[in-house]
Parts: sequence; structure tokens; C-alpha cells
Amino acid sequence: MRTLSAANARRSHAHPSLARWSAILLIAGLVGPVMAVSLASAGVRKDALPKLKHKSAESVARKVDQQILESLAAQNVVPAGQATDEDFLRRVSLDLTGRIPTPEEVTLFGLTPGDEKRADTIGRMLESDDFGKTWGSYWREVIFSRATEMRSRRSQGVFEEWIVEKLNDNRSWDEITTELLTATGDTSEDGSTALIFAHGGDAAELASETSRIFLGIQIQCANCHDHPYDTFKREDFHELAAFFPRVRLRREKDGKKRTFHVESADNVRDDNRQPIDLDQVFRFLDRNRDGKLTKQEARRNKQFGKRFARIMKRGDKDSDGALSREELKDLPELPQNRPGRGRAEYYMPDLDNPTDPGTRTEPVFFVSNQSVPFGTEDLDRRGALAESIVSPRDPWFARAFVNRVWAELLGAGFYDPIDDMGPQRTAELRDVLDTLAAGFVANGYDIKWLYRTIALTDAYQRSMSGDESDSTSPAFAAMSPTRLRGDQIYNAVTQILGVKRLGKRSLGGGGGMRMMGYGRDNAGRGAFAALFNYDPSTPQADLMGNIPQALFMMNSPVTNGAVKGRGNTVLARTLHEFSDDSAALSEVYLRVLSREPTEAEAEICRQHITETGNRTEAFEDIMWSLLNSSEFLTKR
Amino acid sequence: MHLTRHEHVCLTRRGVSRRSFLHAVSAGAVAAGSLSFRDLLSLEAAELRKQGRSMILLWMAGGPSQLETFDPKPGHENGGPTEAIKTSVPGIRIAGGWEKTAQVMDDMALIRSMTNKEGNHQRATYQMHTGYVPSGSVKHPSFAACVAEQIKSEDLDLPSVVSVGQTQGAGFLGAQYEPFVVQNPGQMPQNVAASVSGKRLKQRLGLFGKLEDQFAQRGGQTVVDNQRQLYDNATGIVLSEQTKAFDISEEADGLKAAYGDTQFGRGCLLARRLVETGVSFVEVRKNGWDTHTDHFDRIEALTAETDPAFAALITDLKQRGLLEKTVVVWMGEFGRTPKLSARGGRNHYPRAFNLALAGGGIQGGQVIGSTTDDGTAIKDRPVAVPDLLCSLCQSLGIDPRYEHISPLGRPMKIVDGGDVVSELFA
Repeated sequence: MRTLSAANARRSHAHPSLARWSAILLIAGLVGPVMAVSLASAGVRKDALPKLKHKSAESVARKVDQQILESLAAQNVVPAGQATDEDFLRRVSLDLTGRIPTPEEVTLFGLTPGDEKRADTIGRMLESDDFGKTWGSYWREVIFSRATEMRSRRSQGVFEEWIVEKLNDNRSWDEITTELLTATGDTSEDGSTALIFAHGGDAAELASETSRIFLGIQIQCANCHDHPYDTFKREDFHELAAFFPRVRLRREKDGKKRTFHVESADNVRDDNRQPIDLDQVFRFLDRNRDGKLTKQEARRNKQFGKRFARIMKRGDKDSDGALSREELKDLPELPQNRPGRGRAEYYMPDLDNPTDPGTRTEPVFFVSNQSVPFGTEDLDRRGALAESIVSPRDPWFARAFVNRVWAELLGAGFYDPIDDMGPQRTAELRDVLDTLAAGFVANGYDIKWLYRTIALTDAYQRSMSGDESDSTSPAFAAMSPTRLRGDQIYNAVTQILGVKRLGKRSLGGGGGMRMMGYGRDNAGRGAFAALFNYDPSTPQADLMGNIPQALFMMNSPVTNGAVKGRGNTVLARTLHEFSDDSAALSEVYLRVLSREPTEAEAEICRQHITETGNRTEAFEDIMWSLLNSSEFLTKR
Repeated sequence: MHLTRHEHVCLTRRGVSRRSFLHAVSAGAVAAGSLSFRDLLSLEAAELRKQGRSMILLWMAGGPSQLETFDPKPGHENGGPTEAIKTSVPGIRIAGGWEKTAQVMDDMALIRSMTNKEGNHQRATYQMHTGYVPSGSVKHPSFAACVAEQIKSEDLDLPSVVSVGQTQGAGFLGAQYEPFVVQNPGQMPQNVAASVSGKRLKQRLGLFGKLEDQFAQRGGQTVVDNQRQLYDNATGIVLSEQTKAFDISEEADGLKAAYGDTQFGRGCLLARRLVETGVSFVEVRKNGWDTHTDHFDRIEALTAETDPAFAALITDLKQRGLLEKTVVVWMGEFGRTPKLSARGGRNHYPRAFNLALAGGGIQGGQVIGSTTDDGTAIKDRPVAVPDLLCSLCQSLGIDPRYEHISPLGRPMKIVDGGDVVSELFA
């Protein structure tokens, strides 16, 4: 059965009738969507991940460190020392819970004895709900910051709730991926429809984003031409898109609720398959033999009758209410691959001739060369693709996720940009990536396992490099500072102010502020995100902040409130509670930067207090400087 | 002697655009080798100030009806009750309601044969603002960002792209060219005014700088350098006299009245003040043109706000000698269906729509292209989006084939394809 179906699929290019037979068989459920595995997939094997002896987080972390140290030793580089407790706690809190530690937490952690306190903290944070919340907002940005269907933004909140729950339940990455790729349903209720909604169900965009997000491969460069510096051919891209043509995004018409549904369009005819046989059409339908088809005549054929009005709209050039033979012959082609409308098969456009219907293209997954035959139903297509992507035999799936998480935690990925990997790219320390990826696979794509493993490494727990500029130091010899995401900054600011949330007004509006759909329940958070969020796939080197952000930190009502030394403010209470300048200074530093000031910093601040001659104003200046500091906006 | 690529790069890094450099230095002077490198630079700077070109985009969000603006069809049932009125140019008639704009037709060129394929608001807006259709894999820079990158003035403290209302971002060109969004024209943008005196702000910045040095020494050099650059620019805005440009209260009452005491009127007046100050690109947005229902009533209100502001802007720019250096574009993302719908409205129609241009060397008093009597198709001289953008490049003195490199290493022209609509400059 397997061979027969595959053979049918192959032959179908030449024999549409055979393809139709196999399609009919498929619809009748006589044959399943049988995967045809080509021999060429053997080529992937040399990419395979290594075998691990031990798969626990601790042992993989040790192996990773050992591999990094060997590499550094070969380059005669001594890595930076272990980060202080203060730096580690702020780093791990931001990474695993999305917030900064309070002064009390910093002090308590410093006073806790024992070797296990870092591992204990990591474990505790992974179990908190904040883990899912912070990474849920991260994934919201990954998907929606590249959305091409802007109306999808109203579903951001639905998606975020969905993924937060998945992450906190520690659902595996292959399960989450499969649900995103095979989703159907109401976009205002089912968060798994987010990726498809974000691209309006467009097959080509879904191919690009599926490859970029889940495999770290920028296959879309091959949309119009063979990939310029990878081995991908134009066909590879379009064969991937061919898994998605039957995705349909339908607008909900009735009822008060305005929403969209992701559906399968399996009952759509493959309208480009055969030219219309005009002689046959006129012989059967043109009863009065006047060479024109009217509505009445068209009704004799049920299918044609149904489509008659639509065909008239496009083809009735002389507006006589009937279709002549000429008009039918010159019927303009329907637009190609109408995004999100659902088509039976995918057609690869002919770039030289945009009006050409293009080439009907069979779904083939370029990594494994697995294919499904023409005629396969939507969910079987997408299911087959998802199964192939998450297969342990596809090393790029695990690598892409590991590379992304490592880059977020360490400040630099093995591949950079993090979503531009692939067989022809060079990675830093590919063996380290592969160790982690192998462990991730061996642990069944356990997301929390991966975070735990990375956070346990010495590489993660190193301090920043004090004497070299970041760009020249070898990979992972020291921690690279990374810019906080909008949600992390929001959490930090509310914590410093001692408030639960910020009102929209307090943000000052102005440059760049805008309400986002998901922020409706929390206007401040939404507006804050609009100002400070960025596409998380952006390389760190390109994240430099912008003028409205700087103006916000300098002059907004939020900052003005936070730095006020009089009245019922955090700073005023601190100044009242600690009459000693050094103690007050420590408290301000702990609250904003989660650490004590260094001796040099304390000296600079004391000098400023003396020069200013006004304790309150001097502390306002200090608080302002810390809130505006690059350190505050950075994970150190 | 040729200017080497290396020299071009150096100049660009110093913030001097390649385009104006080529304009500024006569081939002869370079060939004779009579100018030193330093001379070239100062000559260049002077030339740049002198040029000071800019663009104002009046964005009619929602898709304005061509039949109720600059391509009325009073003789045809598709035209509805809209009349055609005379303008200052014999033979050119526009829709009733645009009486003030009709008086400045000498300075305006109309394109009645715009044609495009995108009928979805977001996609068409993206395309009209960037020249490209949206793609998940690359964030195209807005045309505004490309313009600013090419011609921004070095003397400007303010951001080189300002938008009254939300708009398209700078994409991969980065933060420097992001639009500075003003929500309430006429009021100072929020967070621009310092909350403390200038003296105290400088003291704060002194302390801030010293503490930043400490973090740089601890390993944050790169982020500190970025932050310093950003704060230099932001502080430049906060302390600059140029922020007065945002305050329109000092304008004469008569002029304010001419623009109209409306959001759009104040936005247009602000736009003039900003280009006068040296801002390269200003967009002023007028929402509400998506008239599927209540079409004629809504058009009347929209026109009443837009017409006086548009006309006053052109008159004002001209009187100040700015019109020659400032190209003004009035447009939306598409037009509207010529045939009225059952609900008495007009739906989206990208196939044939219109727009208006003025200034920036564009020959006024002319109409380019035409539509059929029923308005459903272009009769002659179709103009596509890339043609329009090429023409705007011509007006601004920019090479439309200048290539930016996308983050994935793909070269992308400012405008891909298209030709200058040469009649505009005849």
C-alpha cells in the first residue's frame, strides 16, 4: 500500500486522473496519508546528534562546561570568575521569573550558606508561575512581532494565556510545536491558532515562519531564487509551503462576536488542474445554441450553476448577462495561492510570468525529504509535517530551541542571529550545542530540563568580563550583558515603585505609546510593552534602545514619581528610615540594581551629596541616575 | 581622480550622505585635486544645509474616495451627488468641498491613474509606506526612514522623522530613524520637557556619566556606549531650542485659523514648523476615510477638516520659500469602489485611485492620467506604487536604487522597480 500510494503521487504530475483516483481513495479513507521516505534523506545523518551516556541536567551541564573549558584552553583564554551572589540572583531571577530580586531577597540569598543554594534557587524559580509568565510573553513577541496579518494582534492575549499554561505545566516542546502547526478553531478562544492567524493562513508565510521558528533555518530566501549561500533550492521552499494550502482563515459572520476561525478547506476543487473543455461545456449547457450561457442554462450543472455568478463577475466583459465562448476562454485566472482562502493544492508561482497559474507542487519536507501525496487532507498534511519536524531524527528542531534559549540566557548564541542556522552556517562551539540538543532530545524535549541544565553551567554563572570589550572576548568566556525585554522592565519598575500596576496616564503617553489588544486588562503593561518590547529574535548587537524610551526614563511621570524624595514615596521613606547616607545609599542601590554599591560608586555618590548640599535633592539625582543607567536596563 | 568607495564610506560614517556629497563637489574640482579632504567636508556641510530638502506626507488613513476628492464623475451615476468645481487652473475640476485646495491648484499635480493590487488596509498601508508588501522574514524600513537616512541634517537636534499619529517604523534601519510620534499636535510631546531645571539636569547627567563609567569598567562597555549615544541625542532634544517647533502657540492667529483649529489643521501647521527647523520627513495622519457606510455625510466632515489645512500648508510653505524644497504628498492606501454599494457607501478599490502632490520641484497645475467615465479603470498613464516612490526620490534628490543591506545580508533597494513619472518634473 505504501509503495502504491507513493508511486501514485509521483506519477500524478503526468496523469491527473491517477492523482484524482488516489485523492478519491484518500477521501474515502482507503489509504492513509502515507509518508514516502526518499533515499536522499540519508544525507541528513551526518548531521545527527551525539549519543549521551548520562542525560541528567547536572551531568549534561558538567559536560558542557568541560567542552567549553577545553575550547578556551586551546585558545589560551582563562574564563571570567564566578558571578557574585548578587549578580547571579538578579540574573537568574530575570531569566526564570522575569523580575528583579527585592532588597530582602538579595540579603537573604547572600546570607544563605551551602553549595546547593544556587541549584535550589533555580529549581524553585522553575516551579513558580512566573516562569511561564515571562517566557509566555517572550513567545508572544516571537510570533506576533513578525505577524503579517495585523488583525491577529487582538488574539495575542489568548495565545499568551495558552502558552503560559503549557509552559507552567511543562508540556514538551514537540507537543507545543505540533499543536501550533496543526491548530484549528476559533482564534479568539484557542491560543494554538496564533501562528496561523498571525500570517492569515498564507502558505508561503507559514513555510517561512515554521522553518525560522522551529528549525532556525531561513528557508524563505529560497522563495524567489535558490538560496544565495545555502544549498536550498527554490523548490525546497515551495514544497514546504505545499503542506499549508488547505489552511483557511474564515471570518465569523453571524453573532455579535467578531472573530476568525482556522479551518481545513478539504472540499475545495483543485481549480487550476485542467483547462475547461469549452466544446463539452457548450454542448451540454447551451440549450438554445446561441453561443452564450445564461444563468438558467448554467443551472443544469450543479457545480457550474453555483459558481456562475462569481464567474460572471470576472468574465462578463460586455455586461450582457451571459457568457460567450470567448469570454469563458479569456476568463482571468484567479489570483495565485489566495492567502488564507484555502486551496486544494499549492502552486509554485512562475516568476517570469506572474499571470501563469504556476506549477502544482507536492508537499516535501526539505530536511528529511518526507513527502505526502497530492490530495492529502489538510490535517493529515500538517500533522505529517509536524511529526517530521519534531522527529528526533531532525537535529535542527532541537538545535533551534537550544540555541534560542542559550542565547537568551547567556547573551550570545552558538549561531547568530539565533534564527539563522542551517547546514552551511558556522557555529561557535557546535559540539556544545549538540551536547545540549542531544540531552534535550533524550529528555523528551523537556523545556524546564533545558533551562535547569543551562542555568547550572559554570558558563551561565560567570561574571562579565571586566577588562576586555565584549566583542573581542571568545565565546562564553564571560557573561555578555543583554538588554531587558519590555515585560522585565515593567516588572522591575512596578517593583521599585512598590505598586501592583501602572496606570496608562502615568506613562506620559507621547512618543510611540499605543494600546495593544492584550493589554486591555492592564493598560500600563500594554503601553509599556508597546514602548519597550522588541522582536526577541533580534541580535543583541542591534538592540540599542530608542529616543522615546530614553525620554520616558528621563522625564516620564513614572520616573518623576519614583525619584521624588518628598511626600509618601519609596525614596522619601528610605531617606526617613536611614539617616545615615551610606545606609540609605545601599538601600537605594539594592532596590534599583539589586546590589550594594561598590566603594568607588559610594564615593562618587557621597561627593555628589556634598556638592549638592541638599540631601533630598542629591538622592533624587542618584535614584534618577540609577533608573536611567544602562545597568538597570541590562541583565548583567 | 575618482572618489574611492573608501572615501564614500568614511563620509557616510561622518554622517554626510553620499548623495549630497556627489551633488556638492563638482567633478572638476575633484579632478583638479584642488580641494583637500577637509575642504570637501566643509563644502559638503554648507551644501547640505542649503539643500535642506524634506517631505510631508498627508496620510488619509482608510482609503479616501477618488470620486469625492480629485477625480469626481458628476456625469455618471457612479459619481453620486458630488459636484465638480473649478480650480485656479482652467480645465482642472475637482470635487465640491475642496474649494480652498482648488485655489492652490497652480502648485499641485494630481495623479488620477494610481493603480495597485492590495485591497487590505494593513497590507496596502505597509506597501504605500515602504514600497514593499509585508513579509514575516524582513521588516522593511519605511520610505520615511530611507529618506531621513539619505538627507537628514547634521544640525538637527530633533528626530529626523516625526509623525503626527502612529505610522510604519524604520524596520532594519534601526532606532535612529524610528518615527518620533506626536499624538497631540500643538501640545509639547510628553516626556520631552525636563522635570527639573536645565542646570539640575546637567548636574544629574554629570553624576549619571560617572556612574555609567563604573558599569563600563565592570564589563558593560558596549551597552554603556550605546546608552551614552542615545542619551546624548535625547538630552539634545530636551535641552534644544528646536523643541519650540512643537509649540504652535506663537503662530499668528490668522494663520492658525487658516489651517483650522482641528487635529489635522494643527498637525499640518506643526509639519511646516518642523520642516522649517530641518526635520527631513513629517507625516500627518487623518483617520476616518474608510467610508463603507454614511459615505457622503462622513466625506463632508472629513473634507471640511482636510481642505483648509492642505491648502493653508501649501500657501504657507510657498510664502516662506519652503515649497521648492519640500515635497507634499496627499494620499491614502487605496481608493474606493466607483459603484455605490447597497448601503450607499464605497468599498476598497486599489485598481484606480488618486493622489495629490505639490512642491519639491514638481510642476503644478497638471493632471497625470485619467480613469474611464464610470471610474472603474485607468484610461491612460497607469502609475504604480514604485513609480510614485521613484518620483519622490527624484524630488528629494535621492537615488532610488541605493541599496541597504538587510540583517540577513540581502541588498534591498530603496525602491525596487518602477520609473520616475517624468511629466511631474516637466
